Amino acid sequence: MKNEWVDKFAGSVRVKAKGRGIERLINACVRHDIAVWNIKKHSADTATFFIKLSDVKRLRHVARQSECKLSFVGRTGMPFFWQRAWQNSGFWFGLLLFLAIVFLLSNIVWKIEIKGATPETEHQIARELKRMRVEQGAFQFLLDDPETLQKKLTERVPDITWVGVEWQGTSLHFQVVEKEIPEPKKPIPPRHLVAKKEAVIADLFVEEGQPLVSVNDYVQKGQLLVSGIIGAEGRTKFVPASGKVFGETWYKSTVVLPLETTFHVLTGKFAERHYIGIGRFLIPVWGWKKPPFAHTVIETEKRPFRFWKWDLPLYYARVTIREAEEVKRSYTWEEAFAEAKQIARRELRAKLPEEAAIRGEKVLHQAKENGKVRVELHYEVIENIAVPQPIVQGD
Amino acid sequence: MVKKWRQQMKRWMAEKFELPADIMMDLPRITMVGQIHIYIENHRGLLAFSDKELRLLLRNGQLLVRGEQFVIKTILPEEILLQGKIRQVVYIEE
Repeated sequence: MKNEWVDKFAGSVRVKAKGRGIERLINACVRHDIAVWNIKKHSADTATFFIKLSDVKRLRHVARQSECKLSFVGRTGMPFFWQRAWQNSGFWFGLLLFLAIVFLLSNIVWKIEIKGATPETEHQIARELKRMRVEQGAFQFLLDDPETLQKKLTERVPDITWVGVEWQGTSLHFQVVEKEIPEPKKPIPPRHLVAKKEAVIADLFVEEGQPLVSVNDYVQKGQLLVSGIIGAEGRTKFVPASGKVFGETWYKSTVVLPLETTFHVLTGKFAERHYIGIGRFLIPVWGWKKPPFAHTVIETEKRPFRFWKWDLPLYYARVTIREAEEVKRSYTWEEAFAEAKQIARRELRAKLPEEAAIRGEKVLHQAKENGKVRVELHYEVIENIAVPQPIVQGD
Repeated sequence: MVKKWRQQMKRWMAEKFELPADIMMDLPRITMVGQIHIYIENHRGLLAFSDKELRLLLRNGQLLVRGEQFVIKTILPEEILLQGKIRQVVYIEE
């Protein structure tokens, strides 16, 4: 027996036969392995029956040797269903609508998850995100990429040391590491204090340990300043030496500064253009005006469109055209020397620790050479030169 | 003569060894479900068909089914399933 389900999928055809010898036609069909079913006789010379869609060709072949005329009067099954659907505008409309909806929903932020933060920090982060227009229901391609988000968040929320930003499908995950208050210090093992660099001792504050140098002593790099071994001989004790030893140290720096420099400075005016891109093609979507800028700096930001869980080759591009201005700066010789000195001082300041103080400054050499000034400077700095050195206790 | 002898031999074997007669002797096996279905195995082809009558060729003779609203649900080389209202099943001997 046959399985009607299979016929539903494969498709079947209703055939109308007209003429004499319909019985012979059916016998011939059966002999040729053509499945025939639901044979009905309507009058003496007409009958209808069903055959499989795939048997139509063979039926034609068989019918040629009979005296019947065939016509096809009905079609059922999946192939015909698809054929009809294909010609139906509603079907296409529905399919397009479905794809459009999936596309739209794939490009929306559905969830923002902040992990590892205390409620206050979490609230703060959420507020910052909202200010950056990162919120539920926002379009993904309008947001910054994860690296930028990460940078901005770390800058704007003071309580976090690090934040990991990751897309997981349509949800945005933030893994936060908060700044922690340092734990109470562990007991320091016995140590000495030694000189970090050569210097002349200016001042000493010893909290613990045996000072071995005094003010105005010249010390070499690595020289012992405060010993961690205290007590009379025979009854010595090891302690962690601590304190500050201020020494006068020397720095030399050279600055070369041209008299004339041109800069490109952004004026703050900008125009935005929005595009949809495929490969290297850009289709403009918004922003048509040509900005009246003489000099421009152009920034392009690309964000892919998504479909379901895949990134499409389609992307959204935002081009920001910023107006730039050329600024020429020129110094006189005197101004240039003064500026060079300031630059040198700033550079040194940046290198030194907070508590260090610049005590004196001496110009060693200054020269004018083809449009540039060259200044060599010598600085005297008072800074803490003590660094700990652990005492290795042998035996 | 030989044919008739062989036929008798087969009938004898079917009786003595209790073998199914339809297989031994190539006879049609007819199954009916009330009046609505008739299922005939071992036929030899369709001779005539209308909505009131079905005539089938058998090995020996013909089978005539009469009734109303006949529809052949399935037909295979040796089987046929007829649906309708069956009134008579008649053997026509040659």
